[in-house]
Amino acid sequence: MTLIECRDLLKVYPVDGQDFRAVDGVSFGVEEGDFVAILGHSGSGKTTLLSLIGGLARPDRGEVLVAGRNCWAQSDAELAVMRNATIGFIFQFGSLIPTLTALENILLPLSFAGSLAAERESTALALELLDQVGLSEKGNAFPAQLSGGQQRRVAIARAFINRPRIILADEPTGDLDEETEREILKLFRYYNETVGTTFLVVTHNSQLTESQKRPRTFAMKNGRLSETTVRGQ
Amino acid sequence: MNFLLEKQLNLLDYALASLWRRKLKNLGIMSVFAGVICLVASFQFLTASLTATAQDLLAEAPEIVVQQMSAGRQEALPLSYLSSLEELNGVRTVAPRIWGYYFSEISGANYTVLAVDPSVMPKGDRLFQAVEGQLPSGPGEAVLGSGVAADLKLAGRRSFSLFRPDLTLKPMQMVGVFKPDTDLLTADLIYTTPDAARDLFAIPADHCTDLCVYVANPREIGTIAKKISVILPGTRVLTRPQISQTYRVVFGWRSGFASICLLSALAAFVILAWDKASGLSAEEKREIAILKVLGWQTGDILLLRCWESLIAAGLAWLLGCTAAYLHVFWLGGALFKPVMLGWSVIHPQLRLLPVVSTADLLLIFTMSVVPYLAATVIPAWRAAITPPDAAIR
Repeated sequence: MTLIECRDLLKVYPVDGQDFRAVDGVSFGVEEGDFVAILGHSGSGKTTLLSLIGGLARPDRGEVLVAGRNCWAQSDAELAVMRNATIGFIFQFGSLIPTLTALENILLPLSFAGSLAAERESTALALELLDQVGLSEKGNAFPAQLSGGQQRRVAIARAFINRPRIILADEPTGDLDEETEREILKLFRYYNETVGTTFLVVTHNSQLTESQKRPRTFAMKNGRLSETTVRGQ
Repeated sequence: MNFLLEKQLNLLDYALASLWRRKLKNLGIMSVFAGVICLVASFQFLTASLTATAQDLLAEAPEIVVQQMSAGRQEALPLSYLSSLEELNGVRTVAPRIWGYYFSEISGANYTVLAVDPSVMPKGDRLFQAVEGQLPSGPGEAVLGSGVAADLKLAGRRSFSLFRPDLTLKPMQMVGVFKPDTDLLTADLIYTTPDAARDLFAIPADHCTDLCVYVANPREIGTIAKKISVILPGTRVLTRPQISQTYRVVFGWRSGFASICLLSALAAFVILAWDKASGLSAEEKREIAILKVLGWQTGDILLLRCWESLIAAGLAWLLGCTAAYLHVFWLGGALFKPVMLGWSVIHPQLRLLPVVSTADLLLIFTMSVVPYLAATVIPAWRAAITPPDAAIR
């Protein structure tokens, strides 16, 4: 089943009085359970493409379909529900609320989850995720008390708290040391292969693709996308 | 539990935690806001209280006062008018009164000198009940208001002298003082016998300054006043409702003037809040963007900001109104009493009646909390409808 479908996406930004095509005519599909890596240099349009797919920015042309629904044909409320329930985001730079603890940050997507029993269950899951990213002792630490790498790991744990079908990640292992990076990649592989979570990762780290069983890789250059590795190869 | 209620509780929980996390900043804003609200509310409460106190004290004043006018100025009127007024249907009794202002050159204060014969006044007149000591009866005897007693610096003495118009001295004897709770009307008062007052002001023995008319049925005040105007065409006829209205207008005008000044302060605060909020910091914009990315709707963010602002402004309103209540009714409105009371050196030291109406509280709420909500929520809405990708790159 095609979980993500991009059709002729175009995103233009004004730069120095001229139009800069950050994403230029991109069309591709991602099947459920895929692990997709998009490689490219800085400024090639990778992060913009991720924003368009996640419904964080509106394309100037084209459509993004997630689970068969056009992102930008939905209301604000529907789009919010989609972001909350279907997609987990991992950003390139710190995306934690500085005034919340690590545990509170992880639980943030569940703010409106509901009953006390659900809250207890969520807290248990959050603690488990913290353990999986190697921060079981840091649940009560504020972002300012964590290193850049630790903040990234909290953000990764937060992306999984809602058990989303899709993870959109922008350089997820950028600030991590080798050992932690291995642990995170193992975690990604576990969710991808065992849980069936679909990953769309923007990176220039080839180890990230090598660590996965069936990665699909795309190259992005000047806003244009081309697939370089086909499933199974 | 209902999902919507649960959602509101979660938002409220987040808002409280958010306020607490920025406690220094929020406490600072709340303190300033509460201070401004306290000033505005103080005027509102003081006006309501003074009006109520005046109404209370005027409750037993004569229903109608008749004064002789000549060339637009008041002058003494002959006692012969008395009989024509007493003959009017509905008039219970008519009491001649002598009063005037005495300027003390030593202190620069104006005293009000008043004289009526208690025997012709209706029983239970509050003025006489407010006397500590005895009522004046002998030559030169007087009861003094607390302000006059302090101003004359009698220091244990009971005798003092006042100047007649020809600058000869009129010896007086203090035989009592008025209770402080009637200060609004008696602080600057010297109450003496009609003979002593006539002597002091050089008013002829068959004249007085005005006639106090007490009527049997208060509903007939207007009708009787009209009749008096007809039978005594050269007189000014003042009714108690008119005097009461004058107090309301005077206090209302003073309060209104001061309130306009303070509303400027309130407006300045709201503009400051708007300016601050519309220039949301990068951190605040980023937080809004992250919340949106994590699935919060624009409406959720607005509700969150609403809760935050409502809690901050509501607490400031509560603190401000409580502080105003304590200021006005416990400290006697110390900050603003000079503006609201007195036009002379002597300021009344009265105990204010605690009067707080729901309308006043709602008015202050509408003038303070609502603009603050708008000033903080609208900029947050503008940030929330912006696509979040730019703030999180």
